[in-house]
Amino acid sequence: MGSRASRLLREEEIEEIKKETGFSHRKITRLYRRFTSLDKGENGTLSREDFQRIPELDQVNFRGFMRTLAHFRPIDQDNEKNKNPSATEPLNSRTNKLLFAFRLYDLDRDGKISRDELLQVLRMIVGVNVSDEELGSIADRTIQEADTNGDGYISFNEFIMVLEKGNVDVEQMMSIWFLH
Amino acid sequence: MPRDSLITSENDSEQDADLSLQEEHESKTHRTKRRDGDRQKKKRRNERRKGGTRAGEGEEDLQAISEKRERSKRKRAKSKQETSRRENNEEEEAQLTGGKGTKARKDIRNEKTRRMEKEEVREVDENVDKGKKKQGSTKKGEKKEDGGKQLVKEKARDIKKKKHKKAETSSEPETSEEDDDEEEDNDKDVVRPECLSPEELEKLKEAVDERKKLIQSLRGKPWPMKKKLVTLRESQEFVEKYEGALGKGKGRKLYAYKVLMTKKWMKFQRDFENFKTACIPWEMKIKEIESHFGSSVASYFIFLRWMYGINMILFGLTFGLVMVPEALMGRPYGSMPRKTVPRAEEASAMDFAVLWDFGGYAQYSVLFYGYYNNQRTVGWLKFRMPLSYFLVGVGTVAYSYMVVIRTMARNANESGVGDDNSFNFSWKMFTSWDYLIGNAETADNKFASITTSFKEAILEEQESHKDDNIHLTRFLRVLANFLVLCCLAGSGYLIYFVVRRSQKFALDGLENHTWWERNEVNMVMSLLGMFCPMLFDVISTLENYHPRVALQWQLGRIFALFLGNLYTFIIALMDEINLKRKEEKVVKFNITMWEASLYNGTVLENSTAPPVTIHPADVPRGPCWETMVGQEFVRLIISDTMTTYITLLIGDFLRAVLVRFLNYCWCWDLEAGFPSYSEFDVSGNVLGLIFNQGMIWMGSFYAPCLPALNVIRLHVSMYLQCWAVMCCNVPQERVFKASGSNNFYMAMLLVILFLSTLPAIYTIVSIPPSFDCGPFSGKNRMFDVIHETLESDFPPWFSKVFSYASNPGLVLPFILLMVLAIYYLQSTSKSYREANVELKKKLQMQNEENKRKNKRAALKAQMDLEEARKTAQEQQRNNNASVQDQEDDTDIHVSGQNPPPVGGRGSQMPSSRDSGSRTHDRGNHGPSGYLPGFARQTEPRMYRVPSLQRH
Repeated sequence: MGSRASRLLREEEIEEIKKETGFSHRKITRLYRRFTSLDKGENGTLSREDFQRIPELDQVNFRGFMRTLAHFRPIDQDNEKNKNPSATEPLNSRTNKLLFAFRLYDLDRDGKISRDELLQVLRMIVGVNVSDEELGSIADRTIQEADTNGDGYISFNEFIMVLEKGNVDVEQMMSIWFLH
Repeated sequence: MPRDSLITSENDSEQDADLSLQEEHESKTHRTKRRDGDRQKKKRRNERRKGGTRAGEGEEDLQAISEKRERSKRKRAKSKQETSRRENNEEEEAQLTGGKGTKARKDIRNEKTRRMEKEEVREVDENVDKGKKKQGSTKKGEKKEDGGKQLVKEKARDIKKKKHKKAETSSEPETSEEDDDEEEDNDKDVVRPECLSPEELEKLKEAVDERKKLIQSLRGKPWPMKKKLVTLRESQEFVEKYEGALGKGKGRKLYAYKVLMTKKWMKFQRDFENFKTACIPWEMKIKEIESHFGSSVASYFIFLRWMYGINMILFGLTFGLVMVPEALMGRPYGSMPRKTVPRAEEASAMDFAVLWDFGGYAQYSVLFYGYYNNQRTVGWLKFRMPLSYFLVGVGTVAYSYMVVIRTMARNANESGVGDDNSFNFSWKMFTSWDYLIGNAETADNKFASITTSFKEAILEEQESHKDDNIHLTRFLRVLANFLVLCCLAGSGYLIYFVVRRSQKFALDGLENHTWWERNEVNMVMSLLGMFCPMLFDVISTLENYHPRVALQWQLGRIFALFLGNLYTFIIALMDEINLKRKEEKVVKFNITMWEASLYNGTVLENSTAPPVTIHPADVPRGPCWETMVGQEFVRLIISDTMTTYITLLIGDFLRAVLVRFLNYCWCWDLEAGFPSYSEFDVSGNVLGLIFNQGMIWMGSFYAPCLPALNVIRLHVSMYLQCWAVMCCNVPQERVFKASGSNNFYMAMLLVILFLSTLPAIYTIVSIPPSFDCGPFSGKNRMFDVIHETLESDFPPWFSKVFSYASNPGLVLPFILLMVLAIYYLQSTSKSYREANVELKKKLQMQNEENKRKNKRAALKAQMDLEEARKTAQEQQRNNNASVQDQEDDTDIHVSGQNPPPVGGRGSQMPSSRDSGSRTHDRGNHGPSGYLPGFARQTEPRMYRVPSLQRH
């Protein structure tokens, strides 16, 4: 796999990935090896068979794979301190982590979570153990709690607000330590 | 080739060709000049910065530089993506990097791929960052222009000036210029100072020196203390961080080593955390059960684990301070009568049936009170055995009190805090899934746990909204309590009656009574224990309580019933003790007779011969009621454990097996119908545990082995019950959330502890110990051992002080003081609690107020939007006569003004793009819908428009 990795992954590309995601060179090559081992079709992309659990992803190339993983990089403490206000945030910033989570719920990608989307996700995370009626009431209740402007949808801002008030540490939850 | 697929696009390649042509052209003419000019410019900039009086600016820049070395790549990505600056960068790059032909091309290509991807992302989340897209789109247009027509040099210079200004406030662009160089070899995470250019090193060195100077002169600065402290800390950190990087050779190695070590240390800390979690016993099992059966079932197992911990400590005390010293340093087995099996029992002493009943060799061993000798010290350590025995007995009880009360207090604190749950469902919905799960089984557990937690939340919600007929409920509750009280009173009387009868039978002699009459008490007790809880369960459905409250009531009622059990047991025990003591008196008399006869005989035979040595097994001895009590408790614990395990195996496992496999060939559906699978009985199990622990506390003074037995029992039942729950039980129909603290269990435990210490203390204080067995033999009372120690082992003044201190004249005021202190603390804690409740209410009010305010603001914004639209339309109508083209333009501006709600801005994006081409005369009507936020954005369009027109 090692020779193949070096063949398929060019230096320039590593540089680009490094710039975009903030991973180190070593990490990228290591992750590339993992990626290729996941990739059974050997065409440089992960297909639906490889990624059965993630329904949204039809095909993922290595770039997208890395971008997804970059969301799960822990936040650097010292980077946070002297962060430049004018620069764009890295992929592993709090907002981007939240955005990533938000998009998991926003299935049709219209920037807001509707009741139907909530129901679909609920069915995924709860399964068949709870009746549809109860699921519906959970979804209604969730929207009622989170929806501050009363439009019946949960926007990204409302989503952020809900998670800010919680005692849940989103940064902690969305950080894989070995990616540090 | 993935890379090709990423990059290729007609538009891009065109631009690429274009730019590279320009570059080549430029490189011919300006190559050397450019580079020199660049250097000079940089130097000039540096000097200007150095000249600046404020230290802060230089600091900032330098920090940025050094930071760049660590994360130049990320920084670069950041800076490049920053849109407003990017234009400048690009233009400059096109001009400045002209010298490095290929590299520049590559760079631009990179830029392009990045932009391509950005576009992709943007397509996906248009609505989320509309602003970005707007900027992006405008820039795109600009980019095209750039490609078509190179900008005039003057303009470039303008922009460069702007850039310098920016460089003073934030060091961004400067860093982005040169990192191409280092990026190539900056592979590793560790900083490599050699990658820096000498100028930068110089700069860094200066900054470090400056910091050092600042630290030295800080004391004399006329700043407030806080500022001084902050500056000091910052500069110290800075110096520490970069001094190592600057030094050559050793210093740098040290620095690299330091970086490495901090990484290692962090990793170690994380691993240690994991290790700590892994060290909590049975945590995984309990979590698994919690995820499938809800927190109420898990609370039983947590309680069981807590109990296990306490018993471990009790076991450690008795084993380490009583059993081991006696076994190692005391007199060996067979050296004296109390340590030998009597001749009559010797034949059967090793039989399993006898041992199982804790007779024979088990009875005459360290496991029981009777084995211990009353010599004051044992072994070369002069270990004071009787004193130790007494203190351990008292200590176990005292420790248990302390632990139970402390746990209760801590739990009470925790329950007092309570977070607000205004977003209960949202949090469950959005944050319950753990994105880091990578194992199918874990994911299954997570599914189950989310489902359970949702069910719990739904139940809570239902319960909080339940408002039936209040009068009916109240009536039903009173009725239920009345019925339960009747039951309890009836069974209480029944127990009392049966016990009295059995006492009478015992006096008559058990032989001439039937089997039923002999075992009446036991049978009645077990029948009551079997049927009353069911009855209570039926009655409690009347009450319509929240299941958590219902569980507590149920626990309380069964507890009251079991108290009867305890009562009968203690009565029986007391009778037994009295019997044994009577027997003892007789034996004592006989022994003196026997000894007298023995000595008389020897004296008669031969006065000079040594006294006849009699084998200790043959010496007659008293009944030793203490050992009897200990045996009684041990037998009780064993039989109790056995019944628990057997009912578990038969009632749960066998039933589950039958239901599962007979279901294929049965008339009705066994799984859904009558027998079905059993649920986990929380209340019964908790009470079993509590009463079992009460027995341990009562009996451990007379049988030091009891805590050890209990540890084994709890250990086994932990595994057995965990398995049984996961394998043969089904979750309760109404899964409910257990209260965060187990304080109800604790309160019952405390009551049991109190009740069980009463008889133990009574026997210790008021009954004289047996004359020929146990560590206190020969003393009038057991606690005399304290007096003895005080008199013989402490200096005389100490016993004097002690006797003064135990004087009622001192003790009574002390007790009074304690009562007063308790009263004071009680009242303060009450007032604190009230204040807490008040504050909580206030917070909730504020929360609701905020929510309402937000809603109002949103509504208002919507109203404003509509109003603005209306005015815009009116204006449009007015202006229609004079100007024709301005409709969509005003529309955009008005809609841009209203911030969040409807996706208005997003939907009007396309119109904003082509609007630029149509409106030449915006300046005239601008003020109508002109907004402060939009001023900057429209400016570039202003010049761009004519240029497009010219095309």
